Amino acid sequence: MKLEIDRRPLWVILLIRSFRPAFFLAIGLLFFYLINLPTPDGLTIQGQRAIALFAVCLILWVTEALPLAITSLMAIVLVALLDVLDKRTTYALFGNEAVFFILGAFILSGAVMHSGLSNRIALAIMSRFGGTPRGLLASIFFLAAALSFFMSEHAVAAMLFPIVLEIARGLNLKPGKSNYAKSLFLALAWGCIIGGVATFLGGARVPLAVGMLKEATGITIGFFEYTSMVFPTVMILLFIGYFGLTRFFRQDIPDIHLAKAVFEGKLKELGKIGYVEYAVGILMGITIFFWIFLGKTIGIAGIAIISVVALFILKLVRWKDIEEYVNWGVILMYGGAITLGASMEKSGAAAWMANAVIGDWANNPLLVIAILSLLTILLTEGMSNAAVIAVLLPVGIGMAGKFHIDTKTIAYAIAVPAGLAFCFPMSTPANAIAVSSGYITTRDMAKAGIAMMVLAWLVFNLTARFYWPMIGIRL
Amino acid sequence: MKKTNTYLHNPGYLKIELMLKGVRVDGKVLKKAGFDKCRDVANIACGLDIILPHNTWVTAPYAQDFVNDSPYELIEKDGGFFITDGNKSVKVSIAPIPEFYRLKTTSGVQLSKIGLVHGGYVAITPATQCDFFNKDIECRYCAGNLDINKGKGTVYTVEDVLETVEAAYKEGKAEVVYLSIGFSETADGGVEFLKPYIRAIKKHFNTLVAVEALPPKENKWIDETYAIGADSVLYNLEIFDPKLFEEICPGRAALIGRKRYLDALKYAATVFPSGTVASHLIVGLEPIESTVEGIDFLAGMGVVPILPVYRPSPRAKLPHYKTPSTEVVAPVYGYLYRAVTANKINISWVRDISVVTTPLEGRFFIDDNARVKTFVQNFYKSRLGLKAAWSLATLRRKLRVKVSSRE
Repeated sequence: MKLEIDRRPLWVILLIRSFRPAFFLAIGLLFFYLINLPTPDGLTIQGQRAIALFAVCLILWVTEALPLAITSLMAIVLVALLDVLDKRTTYALFGNEAVFFILGAFILSGAVMHSGLSNRIALAIMSRFGGTPRGLLASIFFLAAALSFFMSEHAVAAMLFPIVLEIARGLNLKPGKSNYAKSLFLALAWGCIIGGVATFLGGARVPLAVGMLKEATGITIGFFEYTSMVFPTVMILLFIGYFGLTRFFRQDIPDIHLAKAVFEGKLKELGKIGYVEYAVGILMGITIFFWIFLGKTIGIAGIAIISVVALFILKLVRWKDIEEYVNWGVILMYGGAITLGASMEKSGAAAWMANAVIGDWANNPLLVIAILSLLTILLTEGMSNAAVIAVLLPVGIGMAGKFHIDTKTIAYAIAVPAGLAFCFPMSTPANAIAVSSGYITTRDMAKAGIAMMVLAWLVFNLTARFYWPMIGIRL
Repeated sequence: MKKTNTYLHNPGYLKIELMLKGVRVDGKVLKKAGFDKCRDVANIACGLDIILPHNTWVTAPYAQDFVNDSPYELIEKDGGFFITDGNKSVKVSIAPIPEFYRLKTTSGVQLSKIGLVHGGYVAITPATQCDFFNKDIECRYCAGNLDINKGKGTVYTVEDVLETVEAAYKEGKAEVVYLSIGFSETADGGVEFLKPYIRAIKKHFNTLVAVEALPPKENKWIDETYAIGADSVLYNLEIFDPKLFEEICPGRAALIGRKRYLDALKYAATVFPSGTVASHLIVGLEPIESTVEGIDFLAGMGVVPILPVYRPSPRAKLPHYKTPSTEVVAPVYGYLYRAVTANKINISWVRDISVVTTPLEGRFFIDDNARVKTFVQNFYKSRLGLKAAWSLATLRRKLRVKVSSRE
């Protein structure tokens, strides 16, 4: 704990401190102003209230003046209090399938990490393929991506970070100076980011988008369906990413024999593979199999929760071990966002807003996707990716109705770019973890990240233009 | 008793006179005033708490031998008390003995051993020890008023101190709790030791806390002192003259240093509110010019100089020093008042001290009514004023103190 005495004049401190209450007062006033405006033509009173609430939540999510989860909880209560939806419907929305899927995914991912299986796989792959500087860079990058297909990208970044840090130290790379060290940490971050959008498991944002879509329109997107839609984007981005890493940061190290010792030492520490690791690995494999092939029939949340129950029946983990991996804040946030999104749609506010905001100028589906994906990819650099989805998806769904676009494509156009935050440490935890090493600066990350962001947006839109129609998506 | 000029007409002068010369008092009058025996930590400042005109508090010695030469006598007439010089008299009141003095803590300690009321303050010394005595480098004027026995004193528990404050608070005698500590060879200057006491007092009572400690080695401890709840801090330099400081305060000079005193005071004045950082300069232990120089220097930094007058004690190691006369001392207080007001230092905090002439009482020695300042000080002494002072101090601390989790 560090203690500081603010010795500036008291009036300056008071002025600064009064900003927060003034901010909340202004938000309150804005809210009352919006709900007391004459209801515009084509909008119901419930829709007007939903828009007022949405505006308040938008400001709070963007500024993070309140924790995201608290804003979401407030949204749920106000949806019911303002009679946008009836109480029973409102609170029932919180029990959305996506929320339970996220909960199950957190627990399963926690079990994999707690058992040590993920660590062992990571070390084995890096030890096997990381014999040369390029090989090591590739193995970190692709391994981070591959693991993020099956686990939360944040968890993967946190898991691999100490290993990469030890490699950098073992190789005596100079923090802030070594190009190779910069590329290693950026490989970790980019691998997690790109891999994280490949499936439902890489982050909770895709289940959030899917949940919001289902509650608002009744349309569902399956595990396999989603992955097949985004996989080409992911593959191309992985290729570009690796190419970029080797080009942006010219290799300045001749060999990496010292890293080998790090892997060997760590693998030795782990000992031989045990029953828990085997069992968790097999259970995870079965779960993924069911998600891919029976996800639509049984429901991905059901599969996740059954696997979680199996974990405890087989005594593979204890609740105490798992608690630290379950991010209850994210679960609350997602429940609230889904509720608010559904209230926007059901009250007709989303369609009205899309009409009012976009008007008739965006008359081409590809243009709508391009604009939405651009907005998303820009916003996600500065705000939580889940908040971006919560803010843009209700409007996007309204636009889909207006322009007769397949609503699923709108969900993709927001859910996928929302995960592609390459530029800043605050954009996503994987970036923050990489910068926290001290080996890469924010400036380095931003320079390479901006280029990557532009390329990612182009790749996504090109995939939408050329690949999606090939698999039967109507634009 | 020989006849001399007396100062009954001026409460400022009279206060000094009574502090230096004491007051004669007959046993019967003493009994009527409710006094029976000397009360102080070690009977050092044993005295009657008398309230002179203009609400001027003074602790006047009455039991020591030297008071037999005092021109002043306390008399009782028609149920009222007067100070007389044989010719004229002035009406005064005697502060009643706090009821809590008779009580004991749960652990059996007499409350008057832990806390003593001086004017508007309850003074508490949680640990009556000073390590300077262990090293034979104690301040030479010190008469061991910390009940010191070769550096080993009593340490009262937080509970004992809390019970004392509670008793004083209930009686309305704890507008300000004044905590003091002797020297201990720690970098924090005693803050860590006082921390649980300050925290406990602040947690249970809406009262202001003043801390008399030694300057810590680093400023972060001054921040800490403020953050944990101290509203005022005193680092007593005692003597401004560098050479005399080393001679008379060898411990302070060797283990802390004059420079550190001044640096710490300067820094504290930027942390604590105006008028709440103070330092004693003892009048009579150095040439008056040096004291005056010290007043200017301290006031220039935003520090309130508090000027106790040296009165020799048989237990002090300064045999050649004598009590300065009222005529010598009085102009210094006038100068103090001017210096403090010229530097725009708030003088509402240092008030109602019965053992020292306060800066505002310095107005009695110059031609200044100080009506506004007196009004403000009287307001802060009122119930509403006390609440306002406490609330403002709490708000100020809330605004200024920032705690972050990073190291």
